[in-house]
This record gives sequence, C-alpha cells and structure tokens, in this order.
Amino acid sequence: MGKTIIRRFIIMIPQLFVLSILVFFLAKFMPGDPFTGLITPQTDPARLEELSEKAGLNDPWPIQYVRWIGNALHGEFGISYTFKRDVGDLIGERALNTFWLSLLSVTLLYAIAIPLGILAGRYQNSRLDKTIILYSFITYAIPTFVLALLFLFLFGYKLEWFPTSGSVDIEYSSGTLQYYWSKFHHILLPAITYAILGTTGIIQFLRSEIIDAKGMDYVRTARSKGIPIKKVYTKHIFRNSLLPIAAFLGFTITGLLGGSIFIETIFGFPGMGQLFVSSIASRDYSVITALVMLYGFLTLLGSLLSDIIMSIVDPRIRIE
Amino acid sequence: MKITRWMLLATIIFTLFILTAFSKSEKRIETAAPSSNSPFAMAVTNEGKPIDGGVLRVAMVKDEPFQGIFSWELYEDGYDADLMSWASNSLFETDENFMITNEGIASLYVDQKNNKVTVTIREGVKWSDGQPLKIEDVILPYHIIGHKDYPGVRYNSEFQNIIGAKEYHEGKAKTISGIRKVDDFTIEISFKQLSPSIFYGGDGLWTYAAPSHQIGNIPVDQLLQSDAVRKNPVTLGAFKVEKIVPGESVQYVKNEHYWKGEPKLDGVLVKVVPSSSVSVAIGTGKYDIIQHFNATKMPEIEGYDNITILGRPELFYSYLGFKVGKYDYQKNTVVTDLDGSKMGDVNLRKAMAYALDIEQVSEVLYNGLRVRANSLIPPVFESFYDKSLKGYVYDPEKAKEILDKAGYKDVDGDGFREDPKGKKLEIKLASMSGDSVQEEITAYYLQNWRDVGLNVTLSTGRLIEFNSFYDMVKADHPEIDVFMGAWGTGTNPSPSGLYGASDQYNFSRYTSDLLEKTIQNIDSPSAFDKYYRANQFKIFQKHIEEVATTVPMQFRYEIYPINKRVKNYSIDYKNPTELHEIELMAKEPFKSKKKK
Repeated sequence: MGKTIIRRFIIMIPQLFVLSILVFFLAKFMPGDPFTGLITPQTDPARLEELSEKAGLNDPWPIQYVRWIGNALHGEFGISYTFKRDVGDLIGERALNTFWLSLLSVTLLYAIAIPLGILAGRYQNSRLDKTIILYSFITYAIPTFVLALLFLFLFGYKLEWFPTSGSVDIEYSSGTLQYYWSKFHHILLPAITYAILGTTGIIQFLRSEIIDAKGMDYVRTARSKGIPIKKVYTKHIFRNSLLPIAAFLGFTITGLLGGSIFIETIFGFPGMGQLFVSSIASRDYSVITALVMLYGFLTLLGSLLSDIIMSIVDPRIRIE
Repeated sequence: MKITRWMLLATIIFTLFILTAFSKSEKRIETAAPSSNSPFAMAVTNEGKPIDGGVLRVAMVKDEPFQGIFSWELYEDGYDADLMSWASNSLFETDENFMITNEGIASLYVDQKNNKVTVTIREGVKWSDGQPLKIEDVILPYHIIGHKDYPGVRYNSEFQNIIGAKEYHEGKAKTISGIRKVDDFTIEISFKQLSPSIFYGGDGLWTYAAPSHQIGNIPVDQLLQSDAVRKNPVTLGAFKVEKIVPGESVQYVKNEHYWKGEPKLDGVLVKVVPSSSVSVAIGTGKYDIIQHFNATKMPEIEGYDNITILGRPELFYSYLGFKVGKYDYQKNTVVTDLDGSKMGDVNLRKAMAYALDIEQVSEVLYNGLRVRANSLIPPVFESFYDKSLKGYVYDPEKAKEILDKAGYKDVDGDGFREDPKGKKLEIKLASMSGDSVQEEITAYYLQNWRDVGLNVTLSTGRLIEFNSFYDMVKADHPEIDVFMGAWGTGTNPSPSGLYGASDQYNFSRYTSDLLEKTIQNIDSPSAFDKYYRANQFKIFQKHIEEVATTVPMQFRYEIYPINKRVKNYSIDYKNPTELHEIELMAKEPFKSKKKK
C-alpha cells in the first residue's frame, strides 16, 4: 500500500500542473484587472497603467505564467492586490478561522446524523422514524441562508445566547482563556446551523444501509447464535452500515477548508468561502490562483485519503 | 414511504411560519414621496443627562471583511478611510464648501502669483503616543507618495504638479526639490501651476501628516506589511487605535493628547455588520451609529422608536451616457464623431432622456433616498450647483413629439421607430449588475423607451458585471450605444478628469471647443475669483444639458441611523460633530419597544 500511496502522490504532480495552467489562463480571461475597481474621478489613468506595468500585468501571458509558477514552486504566491498582504498570510488567517468552524460543524453534523440515522433504520416505519424523515426533508429543503438568518434572529438577537457577528470579541487578548471561549462561542451558532442543514445525506444513507443489513444472512446468523439484538446492532450492523459514510470521510476532512459563503456572509465571519468569492469579484489574481491550487490539491488528497480509509475500514477493499 | 396527513400538515405549517417570518422584510411598494428638499434631519440632540465616559458602538454595514490599511497615503477602500477617521491624521479643517480653513492643526497660505503655498502647523500638537508633531511629519507623506516603490494610486498627474516630484519619483533626486522647510513649524511648497483646487486639497497638496518617528525608517515598499500600518498606527485624532481584529472590528480608546481637548467618551468600538441582519441589530439596540446603511432596507427600520434617522446628500450622481465618439489611446485624445454615431442626433438623446421615469424609480425602488438629478454637480456644492436647470423631467409625450419632429417614425409597422433614413434603429444599453434592484430598474427603463417607440435592448443580453462593464465602456465597445454609470465626485467638483478632451474617463467621448475652454477656465488662475469660477461651472452644466451627451439621472442620500443613547450627533457638512464632544446617556444603547 505504501508504494501505491507514493505513486498516487507522483501522479498528482502532472494533475496539479494541468490545473495550474487552466486556472492561470482562465483567471486572465476574466474581463478587467485588479485596478479596474480603483477608478474614481481622481485616479489618474496613467498611474493605473504604471501600476499594472510594475505588477507585470502587461507582459504576455505565458511569461506571466512562468514567473508565477516559478514563485509558486518556492511557496510564494505573491501579494494580494486587494488586501495588499502576502497571500500565504492572508489565506492562513482565513483558513484557520474556517478550519475551526468546519471542524465543529462536522463534529456536530456526525453527532446529530449518526444516532438519528441508526434510530430511523432500526425502528423503521415507527413514529420516531417518520419524525426523523420529516426532519431530514425539512432541513434538506430549507435554503442555507433562510435557516441561518432565522437562527441568527432567534438565538442571536432575540434570546441573545450567541454573538451575532465576527469571529472573536475584541476585548479579549489572544492567549487568554476568555479569548478561546469567545472564539468557540462565535463559531457555535454557525456550526449548529451548518450541521443541521447537512444531516440529510448521512441520515438517509445510514437508514437505508441499516434496513438492508437487517435482512442479511450474517444478521440472521448472529441472532440465531443468541446474540442480543442490541449487540447485533452496535457490533454487526453499525460497522457495516458506516462503510458508505467512511467512503466520504477523506473528502470531508480536506473539505474542512472549503468554507461556506452563505454562512460566512450572514454571520459576518471572515473565512475562506468569502475570500474566494470576493477575490474573483475584485480580480485578485494572486489570491484566486492560490486558492484554486489549494482546493485542487485538497481534492486530490481527499480522494486518496478516502481510499486509504476505506481499505482500513473494509479489508476486502485493496488499493492497488 | 407513505406521507401521513399530519406530516404534510406539519410541513405546511412550518413553511408558512418561515414565510411569514420573512415576509416582513419584503420591500414595500407604497412609500411616501419625499419633499423636494432634504427629507431628513442632519443633526440630532437627545434630552437627558450624559454619563461619564462610555464606549460608542458603531456598526459598519459591509458583507466582506475590511482591508485594514491604516495609512492615508496607502489605503484604497472607502471603508478604511471611515475607520481611520476616528483617529484621523488630517491637518486641515474644511468649511461648508469643503474649502480648507485655518481652524485645523495646520493653516494654509496660498501665494497665487508665485505658485507657492505655505503650510504652518500649530505648536504643541502631540501624536497619540505623546511625541510632538514635527514639520518633518508633514514633509514625510510627500516622500512616501512620490517614492518609486510607492504602490498606491496617489502618485498622479496632480502630484507631479509639485516641482521636483517627478525627478524624485524617477530616482534622479534624493528629495522633492519643491518642498522647503522654512522653520520647525513651516514648509513652503512650490508648484508648477496653482488653481482653485488648492483650496480643496488638490493640485498636489497633501492634507495629512504621517508619524515620521514611527514610520520614517520603514522602507516604502514594506510599509503596507508593517505593524505601523496594520496594527498600531500612531495618530493625531480624538481616538487612537487600541486593537484590531483583522477584517472584523477595531477598538479605539480616547487620545488624551488630542489637541482640541480630552474626548468625553472612553472609546469607540467599530464592528463590521452583515447587511442581512443589520436592521435587527438596530432594533435590538446593538449599536449607536450605523454607517453605510443600505437605502433599500429603509422600510425595515422606519418603525423603530429607539433611533433617529439622519440623512444627507451624498457627493454622488448617476448618469446616462451616450457614446458619440471614440478615444484615441495613441494620441490620448477624445475623438467626437456626432455624424458617424448612432447616438449622434441630439434630438434622439433628449427624447431618450425625457422618456425615463426616474422619479418613479427613485420613489418606489429607492424609498425616496434617491432623487432625480438635474445637473452633473451635486447640490451640496451650493456655490457651483445650478438649481435653475430643469433637467429631463419625465415627459413621454414630449419625447414622442421630439422624435416625431426629428423624423423618427415607425415606417414598417413593427411598433418601433426607424431612424430618419428609414433604417431600423436598435439601441444597445449597457447596464451594470450589482445593486439588488438593478434588474428591475433596467427592465423598467427598457419599458419606458418601448413606450415611446424606441427599440432599446441590453448589450450582451443581460446586466454586465462591474469589471467587464468598465472594460467595455473604456474600449468604446461597438455593442454599447448608451450606458448607465455613476461617479462619486469627492470634495472637489471640478469636471476636469471626467469631461476634458484628453480624459480617458470622458466615457461618452464628447468634447467641444466651448466645453474644453470652460473646463480649463474652471481650474485656471482667473478662477481664484470665486464668482468667475461659479459662473464657469454654470456654463459647464448648461452646455452639457443642451448637448445631452451625459444626462444626470439621480442624486443620492446617505442615511445614518443614530441610537437615542447618543446625546448629540450631526452629519451636516457645514457643522459636523466634533468627535471629542460626543456623549452617551446610558450604559447600553436603547432597544426599540415598538414592533414594526
């Protein structure tokens, strides 16, 4: 397996190379440039020209590409045109915010979805099952921004249980206990919102897997051996039913850095989703290209991780 | 799976609940028409006894994190300027005409004959860290902006008006030769040519100081990354930056060294608040002052009893531009070609302007926070604005009459007018996407034109994203005959830069001898006589109205909801609130008792 993993990593190089070409040239094909947004009656067109000359934006695209890829290989993605900061620092700051938010979201997501899925499958067609299904249909049907706004109004503004925007209270200084509590407090409501909205898939998968498994031979065998029904569910059925969920785990882990534009916008949370969308709008080339390369790499890594996890969880599967 | 009846019912009830919860925030169509003068108060005084100190809570409505460049020389985004204004480094104060007075930290003496300016700073002014303000702090910004590594937009043709700025920028000189230190409190700046703009901080004059003891030794290309700009800027204003959470919030505390006296507040906290929830935040009393409140959300906050809504005209106009020529980027000149352009006929342009029901759009879709504009000079500039201009008030009958007279008739009976030669006339309109109601507005205008028999369609078939829009307009794209744009004028309303014969931003590509002469007169030495200048402004406005190549569409109000906890606050340009005098009357902002 070690060999396979190394080989997969080597294959990533040409894949990322192709991605880099696509991203770079598509970004350049967009109309306008980072300086278009600076036009006011007071700005001097000659100065904008000078700035874009200095930034190398007037060179032929292949030359710009070679320069960019050369820097990127050294880990330098340049300076953000909008924020005027090192792209690595900028993304790092946002990625950290998004990472903690996503980690809490995903944890809550599984904490809600797995028990519900198991219960629904185990007590199929009972009132409980129907309630769970109703719940999952409703959460599936509600658009993200609707639920996010509703929760924000209700729990943030009316009941005042949660802070209403930002990622941390400015009063606390970094490193103190209150500071970390404040950070946690700020991500809790967005995370709950996100978790509730995302449960449907997992609940449905688990439920149908469990219903399928109930009729399997190995379950009948276990029951006939006299194993208590509770144990059959926790030991036999549960492990088997988790397979399809485990298949996505790799993507889930690397997807932690994706961020959600809706959640971030409504909760005023500076994260990756917003950075990506706003960098496209402002033609912040250095940020766009760095982010797409990062997401591309994470997706490849996610699929590799998923394969590895599958082979661990289900020994029948081998990656060759 | 069988869906039982109660499940269906529960779903319906839940959906209804969601719908009703949100229908409140729907736009209301029937809003009262505004009176012709400003419908808003510009200042408020609340009765009550002020508390000692307190922290003013300010919401800045914005859906993305702010950039956080705390340097007047380097910032680009208006939001950063608003953040900096609490801890301003401004040297000068201005009067109701935005002209520099001698009330501020520095005073200005203009020697018009010799094209020289003397700037004198007060003695005893201190930076927020207790260091005295030196004349070097006034000189430093010029050497930052003029530097060859300077990354911003402020090194421009105006700045090159300072003698020696260009040589310094090109590395031929160590300093800017036109700037001379006279004594420890005075500098003298020599310019190539002075104009009345000097009194508005134009012509290359820089109106801010920079703390040379803090940033003097930082290389210019590293300033943007430095803590002095990002984390702990040293400032001159009433408050000083205590802490910044990047992109989210800024905490200020009072600056005990403030030259006008110690502020009454303990501090100010500014937070970015998403536009989706700002109305609720206002009602639940989270903030005292709300900046950048979006006009389309006005109905959501009108019922609250814990706030006063202040409003003032903005330095802004939107316009309808007609392409009547091209820009020659080789020769840097506007080439007007009236005969060769589809929009070359003044009658057609006038008819199109009369046909637009801008009044209705302003009232219904902008809740009266925009009004029909009659001039390219916003009315705030009282001495230059010509209020006698009629503008193109909505009059579809007149539009039809003009078109009939000029020979635009429907020859082939398809419901649309043909041009005087009988050829089909299809006019392409470029409209920018962005504003949430832009789609409705554009559709309505197209209908307006259809009503008078003109076949106007959208360039590219849909609204155009901001970057592409300006790319296409700049390049005189053949798909664009008419376009809708807007300008923020800044405090100097001079039309040079936007309507001159060599201006790239003269997007309609119209120029004439009279127009060019007038624009030059406005900024000429004779315009130091303010009556002469005002008169030239009127000639400019009248000429543009007559040729109708750029038709003013709307002026805009900006509004500031102010919580009743704030003792007194004013956004009047004539008499703005002194930041160090703001007082609060309770520990927390008031909540609204009324449900709307």
